[in-house]
Amino acid sequence: MDRVELQQRILKVIANVLKVDPKEITPTANFAFDLGADSMQSIELIAAFEEEFGIEMDEERAREVQTVEGAVDFIAGYLK
Amino acid sequence: MSDLMSAPVKDLRPIFYPSSVAVVGTNRVVGTVPHDIFANILKSNFQGIVYPVSPKERSVAGVRAYKYIVDIPDPVDLAVLVFPSTVCNLALEQCGQKGVKGAIIISAGFREIGAVGIKREEEIREIARRYGIHFIGPNCLGVINTDPLSHLNASFARKMPQEGNIAFLSQSGALCTAVLDYAQAKHIGFSKFVSFGNKADVSEIDLMRYLKDDPKTKVILIYLEEISDGRALMETAREIITEAGKPVLLLKSGRTREGAAAAASHTGSLAGSDEICDAALKQAGIIRCSTIEEMFNNAIALASQPLPAGKRVAIITNAGGPGVLTTDAAIAEGLELARFSEPTLAMYRKSLPATANIKNPVDVIGDARADRYKVALGSALNDEAVDGAFVILTPQSMTDIENIAAEVCHVAGSQTKPVYASFMGEMDVSAGIEILQKHNIPHYILPESMCRAFARALFFKKHRDATVEAHIRFEDVKPDCARSIVREAISKGRRYLPETEATQILASYGLSVLPSGLATSKQEARVVAEKIGFPVVMKVESDDIVHKFDVQGVVLNVTSCEEAETAYESIHHHVKEALPHAVIKGVNVQKMVTGGEEVILGVKRDPSFGPVIMFGMGGLFVEIFKDVSFCVAPLSLRDADEMVQEIRAYKILVGARGAAARDLVSVRQCILRLAALAEDVAEIKELDINPLIVLDEGKGCFVADARIML
Repeated sequence: MDRVELQQRILKVIANVLKVDPKEITPTANFAFDLGADSMQSIELIAAFEEEFGIEMDEERAREVQTVEGAVDFIAGYLK
Repeated sequence: MSDLMSAPVKDLRPIFYPSSVAVVGTNRVVGTVPHDIFANILKSNFQGIVYPVSPKERSVAGVRAYKYIVDIPDPVDLAVLVFPSTVCNLALEQCGQKGVKGAIIISAGFREIGAVGIKREEEIREIARRYGIHFIGPNCLGVINTDPLSHLNASFARKMPQEGNIAFLSQSGALCTAVLDYAQAKHIGFSKFVSFGNKADVSEIDLMRYLKDDPKTKVILIYLEEISDGRALMETAREIITEAGKPVLLLKSGRTREGAAAAASHTGSLAGSDEICDAALKQAGIIRCSTIEEMFNNAIALASQPLPAGKRVAIITNAGGPGVLTTDAAIAEGLELARFSEPTLAMYRKSLPATANIKNPVDVIGDARADRYKVALGSALNDEAVDGAFVILTPQSMTDIENIAAEVCHVAGSQTKPVYASFMGEMDVSAGIEILQKHNIPHYILPESMCRAFARALFFKKHRDATVEAHIRFEDVKPDCARSIVREAISKGRRYLPETEATQILASYGLSVLPSGLATSKQEARVVAEKIGFPVVMKVESDDIVHKFDVQGVVLNVTSCEEAETAYESIHHHVKEALPHAVIKGVNVQKMVTGGEEVILGVKRDPSFGPVIMFGMGGLFVEIFKDVSFCVAPLSLRDADEMVQEIRAYKILVGARGAAARDLVSVRQCILRLAALAEDVAEIKELDINPLIVLDEGKGCFVADARIML
C-alpha cells in the first residue's frame, strides 16, 4: 500500500470516528485541538485504526500521536 | 523579603471582571466538564459576553461556536481552557495571539501526574510569560465572582453561591464543591470563590494580594495542602490584616509530625513542621482552623458582626445548664464574664421575674418569651461593662422561638456590639436559626464553638490594631567570625559543631559564655580548672557525641585539682566504653554557675518559613515537658517578649512563691541575638543552647552548653 492510499484510508477512519467532514482534515490537524477529539474518541480512533489495518498497536505510544500525519507515520511502521 | 513579595502585584482583573470570556475546548455533551463550564457561565447571568470555542461544534447551548479563539471577531479578556492537557499549550498559544490577558486552566494532567505533566506545566508557563497572560490552575475547579458587576461562574461547581463578603481560596477543587454545598445550607455567601489547583502561575499569595484591595471581600479563607513560601504567606497576611483590616483564616491539612522524630537536637525534635506552622501563622495574625466547620464558625462572626472591643461577655439564657456550659467555654477561651453596672441590674430587677438570675449569666427562666430576651439583651448591650453578648436558647414548651430570634436580630441590629447565638437543639429550633442566619447573627450548635469564634475575633483585632515593630538588628555582632568557623567546618565535611566551636559562634553574636578551656590530658585538666577557678564542670568534646549525658560524658561540681584529674579519667573511661569508635578531642573544663534557672534556646531552619527560634524551660527533660514557644526570625522586641511570656514556666521566671525574679531582659537579648545569628548564617540548620542559665534580675544569663548542626 502506498502512502497516498494509506493516508486516504486513515482520513476516512478519522472522519467516521470524529464525525467531521473529510475535507476539513488537513495533514497537520491535531486530533484534539483541531478536530475536537475527546479522550474517549482518542481510544475509539486507536481501535478503529487497528480494525481498518488488521494490526495491533502499542496503546501507550499510539496515544502520544497527536496529528494526522503522525498517525500516517505511526501506522506505516506497522505495515512494513 | 521573600521573592514572591518583591514581585509586582499581578493584575487579576481580567480573571475576575472580564468583559468577555471564551470557553476553549467546550462541547455539546451535557454532564462533561467542557460543556458544563460553558453552561454555568450562561446560567450565572454573567454581565459580559461568552463565546464557545469548539473545534467541531457549530454551536453550544444555542450559542454560535468558533473553531479557534483567534476566529472570534471581538476582543476576549478571559479564556477558560477545558481541552485535554496535551493540547493546552496550543490553545494557550492562540490565546496569546488573540491578546487574552487572563486564563483559567481547568484541565488536569500536569504536575500532579509526574515528569510528563511537569514538562507540560513548564511549557504553558513559558507561553503565558511570553504573552503576559496570568492564569489560575491548571487542575482546578475554576473561579466564581458573585459581584453583580461580573456575576461569573467559570467553574464546574453545581451551583453559584449567594453573594457575600467572604472570599474562599482552595488548593483542592473537590473540597470547593463540598464547601459550596455546606455554605448554601447555612446561608453563607461569598465574594470570590477560587480553586487554584497546581498554582503554576497565580498562587495563593497573588490571590491574597488581589483580595486585600477587593472592596467586596471582608474576610479571606484559605485551604492549603502545602505552604510553598511560608514567609510570603506571613508577610502578605500581615499586610492584609494591618493595612486592609481583613482577617485571614487558614485550614491546612497534614498535621503530621513526620521528620521531627529523627532530629538530632532538642530543638529539632520539639520543632515539628506543624508546631512551626502553628507558631508562624499565629505570629502573622492568621487564624488557623482545624476543620471546615471551625473555619466557617469563625468566619461568619468576622464577616457579619462588629469586632468586640474587649473580652467581657454577657450571657443571656433561658436555661441554667447551658449558661454554665457557656461560662466554662468562655473562661477556657480566655474571655471574661462581664460585671453588670448598677443601672443594668436595676433594669433586670424591674423587668425580669424574681426567680430570674440577674447576674451574669442572665437566666431569663424557662418560660421566657421574646419580651424578656429583648430586655435582657438590650440592657446588657447598653452596659459599658459589656463588650459582646451570647444568646442561648433551649426549646421549651413555652418558648416562642421564632419571635425570640426576630427580637434578637432586631436588638442586635440597633447596636454596635457583637451578638452571637446558640439555639440548642435541631428540629424545633431550625426556623429560629434560619431567621438568625438570614439576619447575619452568627449561630452555633455548640456554645464552645461560639466562645472560640469570639476569642478568634479578639485575636484578629489584637493583630489588626498592633503597631508595627521594627525587627531588631545589632551593630556589635561579628557575622564574618561566625561564618568562617562554620565554613571551615563544612569544607572539612563536618556537619556537627560541638560545644567549644558552638560557644565561639554564640560569643561572636554577643551571648555571654562561661570561661572554659579544652584539656587533652588529666594534667592539663588540673591546670585549666585551677586557672578558671573552682567549682568547674567537665564535659567530653567530640564531633561524634551529641548527647553527652547519655554516655556519662559530663561531671558536675568539680571542686579541686584532684577531682579534676579523676573526672578527666572517668569521662574518658565511660565514653570509650559506651562509644568505642568516638573520636575524643578532649575534655572541656568550664566555670560552673550555681543558682539560676535553666532555659533552652534553639534554632531550626524550616524549608518553608526559614529560621525558627525556640525558647522554653531547659534541662534534660525538655522533650518531656514540651514547655516551649516558637517564633520565625527576624524578631521584634515584642516577639521576644511574647515568646518568653508564652511558656507555662513564665511564672517561675518572674519569681513564683517568693523566689527571686530572673533576668528576663537579658533572656530577651539572647533570643534577639540568636535570631540575628540564624538570619545571618544560613548554613546553621539546627542549634541548641541547653541550658542557658538565667541569673537573678540584673545579673545576666550564660550559655552553659551548646551545639550546632550544619
